[in-house]
Parts: sequence; structure tokens; C-alpha cells
Amino acid sequence: MSLLIAFLVLPIITIIVIPFLKVRGKAIVTISAILINALISGHFAIQTLSGQIFDFSFAGSVVTGPIRIQIDALAGWFILILNLVFLTGSFYGLFYMKAYKEQRNNLSLHWISFILLHTSLISICVIQNGIAFLIAWEIMALSAFLAVIFEHEKMATLKAGINYLIQSHVSILFLMVGFIWVAIKTGSYDFQSITSYTQTQGSATGIFLFFCFFIGFAIKAGFVPFHTWLPHAHPAAPTHISGIMSGVIIKIGIFGILRMLLLIKADYTSIGFFILFMSVLSGLYGVMLAIIQHNLKRLLAYHSIENIGIIGMGIGIGCIGLGNGNQLLAAIGFAGALLHTLNHALFKSLLFYVSGIVYQATHTLNIEHLGGLIKKMPQTAMLFLIAAIAICGIPPFNGFVSEFIIYNGLYQWMLNAGLVSLVAIIFSILGLVLIGGLALFCFTKAFSVVFLGQPRVQFNHEIKDAPFLQRLPLYIISFFILAIGLFPKNVLNMLIQPVSLFTGKIEPTFVPFQDGSLDALQTIGWASSGFIVLIAIIFLLRRVVTQKHKATISSTWGCGYVAPTPKIQYTASSYARSYSKLFSNILLIEKEEKTVSGIFPTEAHFKTHPYDWLEKMLIDKPIKLYKSILSRFLFLNNGKLQFSILYGIIFIVSVICIPLFYDEIILFIDFLKQL
Amino acid sequence: MIHVILIVFIITLFYLSIANRMLTYVKVLALQGVLLFFVAFLQLSEINTLNLIFILLETIVFKAIAVPLFLGYLLKRNNITREAEPFLPNFVSLIITTAIVVATILLSNSILDSHLDKMFFVVALSTLFTGLYFIASRRKIITHVMGYMVIENGVFVLSMAVGNEMPMMVNLGVMLDIFASVLILGIFLNKIGDVFKDVDVDQLTNLKDY
Amino acid sequence: MLSLVLTVIAALFFTGIVIRTKSLASGRKGPGIMQPIKDVIRLFKKGAVYSETSSFIFQIAPTIYLASIVMAMLVVPFGQTKGLLSFSCDFIFFAYVLALGKFFSIISAMDTGSSFEGMGASREALYSMFAEPAFFILMGSFALLTGYTSFQEIFAALHIGSYISYALAGLATFVLIMVAMIENSRMPIDDPKTHLELTMVHEVMILDNSGFDLGLILTGGYLKFAIYGTLIFNLFIGIIDYQYAIPLFFIVQFLMAVIVGLIESFSARFRMNHNAQFIVALTSVSLLIFFGALLMLGKFN
Repeated sequence: MSLLIAFLVLPIITIIVIPFLKVRGKAIVTISAILINALISGHFAIQTLSGQIFDFSFAGSVVTGPIRIQIDALAGWFILILNLVFLTGSFYGLFYMKAYKEQRNNLSLHWISFILLHTSLISICVIQNGIAFLIAWEIMALSAFLAVIFEHEKMATLKAGINYLIQSHVSILFLMVGFIWVAIKTGSYDFQSITSYTQTQGSATGIFLFFCFFIGFAIKAGFVPFHTWLPHAHPAAPTHISGIMSGVIIKIGIFGILRMLLLIKADYTSIGFFILFMSVLSGLYGVMLAIIQHNLKRLLAYHSIENIGIIGMGIGIGCIGLGNGNQLLAAIGFAGALLHTLNHALFKSLLFYVSGIVYQATHTLNIEHLGGLIKKMPQTAMLFLIAAIAICGIPPFNGFVSEFIIYNGLYQWMLNAGLVSLVAIIFSILGLVLIGGLALFCFTKAFSVVFLGQPRVQFNHEIKDAPFLQRLPLYIISFFILAIGLFPKNVLNMLIQPVSLFTGKIEPTFVPFQDGSLDALQTIGWASSGFIVLIAIIFLLRRVVTQKHKATISSTWGCGYVAPTPKIQYTASSYARSYSKLFSNILLIEKEEKTVSGIFPTEAHFKTHPYDWLEKMLIDKPIKLYKSILSRFLFLNNGKLQFSILYGIIFIVSVICIPLFYDEIILFIDFLKQL
Repeated sequence: MIHVILIVFIITLFYLSIANRMLTYVKVLALQGVLLFFVAFLQLSEINTLNLIFILLETIVFKAIAVPLFLGYLLKRNNITREAEPFLPNFVSLIITTAIVVATILLSNSILDSHLDKMFFVVALSTLFTGLYFIASRRKIITHVMGYMVIENGVFVLSMAVGNEMPMMVNLGVMLDIFASVLILGIFLNKIGDVFKDVDVDQLTNLKDY
Repeated sequence: MLSLVLTVIAALFFTGIVIRTKSLASGRKGPGIMQPIKDVIRLFKKGAVYSETSSFIFQIAPTIYLASIVMAMLVVPFGQTKGLLSFSCDFIFFAYVLALGKFFSIISAMDTGSSFEGMGASREALYSMFAEPAFFILMGSFALLTGYTSFQEIFAALHIGSYISYALAGLATFVLIMVAMIENSRMPIDDPKTHLELTMVHEVMILDNSGFDLGLILTGGYLKFAIYGTLIFNLFIGIIDYQYAIPLFFIVQFLMAVIVGLIESFSARFRMNHNAQFIVALTSVSLLIFFGALLMLGKFN
């Protein structure tokens, strides 16, 4: 208990101290505070993975009732992911923010919101009381907002931040509705009351309540069609915040969904089908739009939407397993989802950090202006390559393991399913395969256009690689990526406790994965190691054979063309064109061109700007409609002081008069009704 | 064996949706006629021999030989360009055709009648809808006739499914076929193609009232 | 182990037979059957020329490509014997390991900074993306029919008896042959003989490779063809004894090579724009196979 108090007090002390320190000191103090908090929470989390559950209780106020804190295996898993990403992110951020060291006050605010974000995220994982949960959620949303708008002198950043803030509050509205509904019916804000309430009521209540929570959490997680804030917020934020947002904040939405699945007793099968449908949609939509983006961070943001779709597929399969009473299926589904959460946090944050290094070296995120960076920063390019291979779900890295588990779940389900389920399964498999193929398309594009070839635009400044210490957290993350890929069975053993929380709903004594259902993972681990050894052997063979023969360097073959320039290289849009032509109905690409005319051509230009169709339908059109209705009343807001006072007088008079003349008004209205 | 032929029939539908040339459409129609001949031969074992011979002859002569020949002759005489010009790209047509087949399969599963062989129902309905889609998505007038032939093949398949119990249904299907052939013959003989100089469907909108 | 040895032996002859068939079909005598292997050995002895635009990716990509194909070969079974690696859902591992090879060949093509290779890379990525679902749905249909999920168990339990299963097996062979053609970029998707960049997919990606690397890439290509031949062979045998199975294996590979050669000689390449819809048509046919499998199981009716 005392550790908990220390956990809560430490951020408060840090917040008070930060404004008084020098710039360097601010960052170091924040990092140390996060490290200590990570150690405290990690200490509890690791123990929960072997089966222990911790229960604490704070005596709350008369409004909230007693506030319970419970750390179980699910919370433990998410806390460990959180801490890993925060530690690497804050260390990276220390070096990233060196470029901004003049802005003292801005930096204070930034580091304060950083530590608040960490604390509130961990609290969300463990709080078991409705109002306290909402308070922690709100603190998280606000501190994330403050962290995102670090460069608030840019209009685009501010707009993105406010977009995020508004959608975050829509999400909290849904959560509030859910919690308050339960509290009114049962009189207590504790999470246990949710369980007891849904157990006694009919299944329709359960489903309705679940959807309320689901929409709230889905907005945070970034499921389609609630995703429109994601692609704006991620490029606008400083890189370590983007990495943390993608790696952790959207996972809290997933955590919320999982927690509600454990608490609410409802018809799991229909919920499972619904989540599966939404996830396949999110996965496909996210990656289809990612391919046509020019901005590197925006591309990565759309990929986050796709990976949330994959995690959702795992959750959907697990729910259907729970609904059918098939504990094997439930175990596989939830294991895949939880493992992919970890994997995605790892490789997505790595990708964002590398893009931050690219940004700081070249001051642009537009892929079409980059190229040939591998010669200037080879190690960073290598790290991006590792993360790109991992995100496509290709062995020997960790992405393959979680996608394999989800495929396994789908094929296992198929072996004894009815006709409607079979159609759902075959389309989910189709969706997952297409997602993998599209992700490969997208990342080969991103990697080749940014790092390979020749520079497409000559920069005036020199391009340098980031210092070693800034790259250190990246090496640590890639070590984890490789380790999970090579030793998947050990990671799976760590997942036994969180998954058994779910399968415990069917049969409390079932220990998942002991029956050899995922033994294939052991073979995959060996096969991946063997693969790397094979590559090494062939490479050595090659080295030995080519020692004797000279290798000459010459220019790229140009079919006889004697004046090659970097401009004839394939650009990202050209690479994506074979794809974007096929799907041009769904992808909104706005073109602006001035064509070549005349016999002696003068300058011409061609610009494309990709836009999001769902965002246009769901956000822009309603807002335009809303504005056009309200703009009729614009005359009321003409800024003159006298009018404001006039409005005030009208209000006071009506407030006094209406109760006085209430009866006469009622008579008058009845008279009108009789006419 | 019948199921195999019906599966090949569905594959001809897919081929129809990605084909580019008018001649290919004609050849697919001929192929469908031959397939229907075999289905009729294998399926209608219980109706009397004279009727059976009539139906078989009709299938082979009209569906597989006469109509394709007439259409080919029309294409050549009116100098209709070789490319079929669809409104939607072929990629989308293929996806829509696949969706039609899948939807029909799901639909047929909710029918509980045990007398009807589901396979026939699936093939017939998907052919029907594909034919309708075909008419809706092509620009040339002559493809409307071809789409009508596809629809009519679909109706024939459905009539085969119940042909053993109700031989009149099959005869009605055959009548439909003969009607279509007469229609095409009418176009051919009366050289309507000469009067309609434009073979583009859009020009037909000139016939509007306002 | 058996499948590994047999596939390697088949790979030695397969491409040679294809080229010989094509030559004979066009009325020439053609090169010997071992000519592709002699080409590869000659390449291993030559020095290399590297482009100054390329980086270490260009150096390691052919190695990784060949390694991925060898790894995929280890998963393919031979009738009753398992491959060296066999576990449930191993066909997923098969497909994704091949995807690693494709990833590296695509980025090594983009590494040269040439617009030709970029073109080929973009097309290769698109076509392999569309060909994957056909393979997965096909394996899904087989898994549904037999109730197992690993390659070896599926093939061991596959019975071809009734008419409809013959039809399904025939369709499956067609899909697998087409997927093999797509993966190796042969007709009717791509013509390996025109060395024109505007019309090629795979040949144009390896324009700048030379020497030992080119030898590695060519070896990989030959092995891939033989792997797909083994897969198709596995569809039909299942339970035959070894003394019949091994000669039958070589006969089937020979027949497949002749069929491939004949397809290449007598069909024209599709227009580049139409390739995508042809490949998606394969997915539609796979879906049909899936529903046919459902019909066989009696799950609907």
C-alpha cells in the first residue's frame, strides 16, 4: 500500500519541481520519475503474470464510494507494455527535444504532461471504480492533448490537437453514459456492480451497455469509422509523443474493451461477430489508405489503424470462442490479440522514432523529397528495415507470431463451424491475407523511397545520423522484436495468466496452451533461428566464392540514356499508382495540375493530395451543414458591448417574469391548443 | 457429374465479366449452350423420348450454333468495334460477379425445400443476376441482346431443376429461346443495324420526352 | 528429407524441359535440358558489377531470396513423409517465408534507383498481393475437407473419389499452376523472353544483378517452380507406395514442365492492365472451390 502512495506522490513532487529546473534538468528529472514509477508498477505487474492478484482499497468520498485498486494479469500485461514504451520513448525524447531547448516554458509544460500521461495510463489499468476511472481517463486525454500540441505556433498542429480533444470528449461521453447508467440502476460505482447488473438483467441490456462502452473505447483505439482523429494527431505531435500515442494510448482503448468483456455478461457470439466485422473493415481501410499517403508519419498513423484491426480480429475470434463454449478457440483468439498488442507497440514505436530521426536530419517528412538516406544513416535504415519486415508479419520477427496465432484461430474455428460462420471465416481470412499483402506493398514503398535510390531533392544542409545514445532505445526495441520472433513459446507462457482470465469464464480450471494447440510456435521459433543461420551460411559461401573475382562499380543501367538524373527514379506515387488506379473509387485523391502545352514546353506541375473518404462523409459534410444552419444566427454575435448587456437584461427579465406569470401562460397555451 | 458441369458454368460467368472483346462474349454463349446440352442430357431422364430429343436438338441448334453464328455475323456486318466498352472497369465487374455468386449461395441456404437441388437454384439465380448486371453495365446495344441470352440460359437451368416433374416448364424455356432467336433474326433480316447508325446506348437517351 | 532431395533433382531439369518444349514447339531444336544449370554454374564463376547507387541491401538481397526459398522447400511434404518442418498451419509459414524473399527482391530492385526496376517492383508487389488470397482460400478448402491443417496431414487424407472431387482437384490444379506462373512471372502474366522493360515484371527487377548474385536468383527461380510442381503432385497421390510414387513424381514434373512450355508457346501475354483482374479471378475460382468443398461435406443443401 505504501508503494502505491509513493507511486502517486512522486509525480506530484515532480510536477512541482519541474518549472524551477534548467532545460536539461527537466528532462532528466522526468525520466527518473518515470523510471521509478515503472519499477514500482512493474514489480506488481510481473508478479501478476504468475498468477497473483493484488487488491487495495482507498476510502473515497461520499460520491464515489470506496475506490478499489486491483492489479490482475490483464492489467499487468498492459502495464508492462506501457512501461517499456514509455521508458524508451522518454529516453529518445530527451535527445529529440534538444532541438527545442530555447522554449523553457513550453518544455516545462511538455514534461509535466508527459509524467501525468504515464501516471494516468497506469491508473486506468488498475482502477476499479467508475468515477475514479473517468477522472483518470480525462487526465490522460488532457495531458495527451497538451503533449501533442507542443509546436502550437503551427496552425495545423493546433487544429489536429483540437480535433483530437473533441473526439476524445465524445469518447468520454459514451463512457460516462455507460458508467452512470450502471450506477443509477445499482447504486454503486464499483466495477463489480457492472457484472452483477448484467447478470441479473436480460441479454439485451448487456449488449446495449457493451456497445456504449465499445463506442467510447473504439474512438480511442481508432476503429473505423471512429478513426478520423488519428491521422491528424500523429504527424502533428513531436515524434516521441507520436510513438507513445500509437504504441500505448490507442492500446488503452483495447484494454478498455477487454476489461468490459470480462465484466459484462452478454451474448458473446454476436458481440464477437460484430467486433470481427469492424476489425476486418478497419484493417483493410487503414492499410488501403496508408499506401497513398505522402507524409511519413501519416502513413504510419494509418498503419496503426490497420494493426488495431488485426488486434480486434483476435478479440472477435476469442469472443466467438467464449460464446460457443470453445475454450481452445477463446484462448487462441485472446492470445493473438494480446501478443499483437505488445508487438505493435514495439514495432510501431520503432518506426515512429526512426521517422523522427529522419525528420530531424532533413527537416521534411514528405517522402517524395527524400531518398538515398541509407548512405548517410545506415544503422537507422537497418532499424527501419527490421521494423518494416516485422510489421508486415514476416518471419523471423515477432509480427509473424501474432498473425500466425490469429490465422491458427481462424482455421481451428473453421474445422467445426456452421455455414454462416464459414462465410465469415473465409472472408476474414481473405481480409487478413489482403492486409498482409497491402502492408508489404506499403512498407516496401516507404522503405525504398525514403532510404534507397538517390536523393530526390538536394538539401542545403548536411544530413547526419542521430547520436548513438538517441538510437540506443531503438536498438533495445529491435532486440525485443527479434527475441519474440525467435522464442515465441516463452512469450506464450507469459500470456497464460491473462488469457486464463478469459477462458475462466467457460471453465475456471482450464490452463490454456497446455494441450499442444500452439506447439507449432516452438517449431516456428527453431525454424526462424535456422533461417537466420541459413542466411549466414549462404552469405559466407558467397563471400568465399567472390573473393577471387573482382567486383566493379558502375552506374545503374539506363538503357543507353546518357543523362540520368535522380528525377527519373520511381517516386512513391508512381510505385503506388498500379494500386491506386484499381481502387480509385474508394481512395479520394485530389489532383491539381498544370499540363504541358505548346511545342516548346514550359514549366508544368502536378500535385496530388490524398484525403480520407470516411472523414469527408462523417465529419466534414455534417460540420458544413451545421455551420450553414448556424451561420444564419451570426448576427447575434456582433461584438458590440451594448448588445451583450441587452442580452443579459432580456435573460434576467425572463427569468424573473416567467414564474410570476406562469399560470397566465399556461391558460394562454391551452387556449391556443383548443383553436 | 451434373454438379461439375454446373461449376464450369459458373466459371464461364466469371470469364464473361473479365472478357474484353465482343467475339469472346459470343464464344462464351456458345460454350454455355454446349454445357446446357450436357446438363439436359444427364438430368432429364424421365420425360418422354420425343420431348427429350426436341429439347436436346433445340439446345444444340439454337443455343450453341445458330444464335452465336447470327451474332457473329451481325458483329461483322455492322462493323461493330471489337472492344466491349463497359461503364465500370472489369476489375469491379469481377468483384461484383463474385459477390453475386456468394450472395446467391447464402440465399439458397435459407431455402428449406427438399425437392429442389440447391445447386441448380444457385447457378440459375447467379446467371440471372449476372445477365442483368451485364445489360446494365455495357455501352453497346448488341450487348443487351447478349445479356438477354445469358439471363435466358439462367432460366433454362432453373427449368431443368424441375424438368423431370414438370416437362412443360422446360418446353416453356425452349419457347423463350426460340422467341429470342426470332428477335435476333428480325434484327438481322430487317437490317435495323443499318438504321441505327450509332451503336452506342447513350444515344438512345435522345428518345426522352423532355 | 525425401521431398527436399526430390525437389532439388526435379529443379535441375524442370526449366530445361520448359525451354526445350518451347523451342520444339516453334520448330527449333533448342538448347539442352541441362543448359539452365550450366548457365548458373557459369555465373557463379564470374565477377560482378554493382551500381554506385545501391547499398548493402543490394548485396544481401539475393542471399535472403534464395534462403527463403530453401526454407519454404523444407515445409513441403512428399505424400506420406513429412517435410523437414511440419506443424499445424504450416502453409502459412510457407507463404510468409516466400513473402520475405519477395520483400527483399522488391527493395533490392528499388535500391538501384532506376525507373525500370521501380516499375517491375511495383507490379511484383501488386500481383503477389492478389495471388496470396487464392492460395490461402485453396488451402482453407482442403483443410475443411480433411479436417487437418498441416500440409502433410492434408495431403495424406485427401481422397479423390467422386466426380465432384475430381472437378475440385482439377480446379485446384489450375489455380496452383496459375499461382506458380504468377510467382515466377511467366506467361500469361509476363513474358520472360521479351527483354522490354515496359512489359516485364520479374526479369526487369534483376536487370542490375550480375555474377554470383544473379546465379543465386536464378537458382531460386528454378527451385520455386519445382516446389509448386511438388505441391501439385501431392494433391493427387496421397497414399501410393514409394516404389510407384517416386517415378510417378518425375513423370508428373515432366508433364507439368511440358504443359507450362506449351502454355508459354501458344498463348499471348495479357495486357498489363488486365493482369490484376485475372489474378483476382483466381481468388473467385478459389472461393468457388471453397463452396464446392462445402457442397461435398454436405454442409449446405
